[in-house]
Amino acid sequence: MNSKEQRIVAISAAFAVVFSVVPGVSAMHIMEGYLPVSYCLAWGALCVPFLIAGFLSLRKRVQENRRALILIAMSGAFIFVLSSLKIPSVTGSCSHMTGTGLGAILFGPSAVSILGIIVLIFQAILLAHGGLTTLGANTFSMAIAGPLLTFAVYKLCMGAKLNRKVSVFLAAFLGDLFTYCVTAFQLALAYPSEAGGVMASFVKFLGVFAPTQLPLAVIEGILTVIIIIGLESFAKPELKTIGYFGKEEAA
Amino acid sequence: MIIVDKLCYSSRLRYMNAGEKFAFAIITLLICVVSRSILCAAVILAATAILTVKIGGIPLSRYRTLMAVPLTFILLSTLAIIVNFSHTPLDAFAIPLGSIYVTGSWHGIYRAFQLIITAMAAVSCLYFLSLNTPMTDILEVLRRLRCPLLFIELMMLIYRFLFVLLEIASSITTSQRSRLGNKDLKTAYHSFSNMVSVLFVRAIKKSNALFDAMESRCYDGRIRVLNETFPPKAKEIIAIVCFEVFLLICIIGGKLLL
Repeated sequence: MNSKEQRIVAISAAFAVVFSVVPGVSAMHIMEGYLPVSYCLAWGALCVPFLIAGFLSLRKRVQENRRALILIAMSGAFIFVLSSLKIPSVTGSCSHMTGTGLGAILFGPSAVSILGIIVLIFQAILLAHGGLTTLGANTFSMAIAGPLLTFAVYKLCMGAKLNRKVSVFLAAFLGDLFTYCVTAFQLALAYPSEAGGVMASFVKFLGVFAPTQLPLAVIEGILTVIIIIGLESFAKPELKTIGYFGKEEAA
Repeated sequence: MIIVDKLCYSSRLRYMNAGEKFAFAIITLLICVVSRSILCAAVILAATAILTVKIGGIPLSRYRTLMAVPLTFILLSTLAIIVNFSHTPLDAFAIPLGSIYVTGSWHGIYRAFQLIITAMAAVSCLYFLSLNTPMTDILEVLRRLRCPLLFIELMMLIYRFLFVLLEIASSITTSQRSRLGNKDLKTAYHSFSNMVSVLFVRAIKKSNALFDAMESRCYDGRIRVLNETFPPKAKEIIAIVCFEVFLLICIIGGKLLL
């Protein structure tokens, strides 16, 4: 081996070490204390309008029907449990779904914003995924941007009369990818590269997380489809109670 | 089932006033994140470890495993900060790959080190709060801080339901495993998805049953519980204030030294 080859082997070995000591791949939570304060505040402020809209829509639903509160809470717990369960994976490392994609398809993006922030608080406190200072940034990427895109894609595909399974897959898959891109962007903005600025840094963060996040997004898409098939085949009445079926289908 | 939740009930600091613990954790966290001082972060790491392990009585081995949880993220993202791709080599290291260099600067390495230690200190503050304070006490503090009632009510219900659902999920998974439900990857995906669908159906059924039960006990949209109060002690408050002042001195001292 010449020195160049040796170097390549060394780099790939270093990568292998980094990826093999990985104790568990949580979905893209930015950890506690990782972002500078100004960014924490800015992302938090960006979330406020969405959270207020979500809060008002939830309050209206609860005032109309008190049973809804319990149902909404159960949905929140469902999203948390979904995101804390290990999904089967090839390498034996453990990875998790974000769960917010399925949440957005089932409960709508406005409810998911509030449920998402609560789930993120619990994840920060109980599982140390994410954190309190980075709550704003994480809420924006995982509870607002991702679910909004998922919901938009889902509605668009359904409007275009695409097969429901295809629409669900695309929605969950793209939502997951978008969450990952937004997180990489948030990190890049806070830590621009010394050579090349924010864009170079964005590409680097994308690249570093790609090996874990790309397969995860595909898996999340596939699982969401199978879950939806399962739900439609034996949970029709329950789906109706949360208003999953559109008006034309409910009839 | 959630290890942090289990440990916090056996902490010896559990019966300390929750507001004090909350204030200590949040103020220390803010000082750590705002200052980004390495000295200050080292002090915080030591202080929270002593408080949680020595005084709180959380086993050291557990504490170590828990601190390793955010490691993935920190390793990956710090890698992205240290390593640059550029046509001109930077001062710390440079590995030529074709026409470009995989390179890094001492400044970048210093910044990454600073980031790792402050982030770990911040995580330790969070652990101090969660390993010594049960969730219900944290919710009580949020109520005092005038968080919207609906929000707190939701958090309380979700917190309760977590355990209900986790238990259902784990028993379904156990029974699937005992029937070779994970014999290969395809079956494993199917089992997982079926489990989630059943979990959803059970969740909705449970929530309906729960509402009926609560309604028959005069539920009017608000859950009131008596909470135990542990009044704050002057000694503890003074200790917290002293510690925070000490941190501020550390920051100023660190600035002067450099």
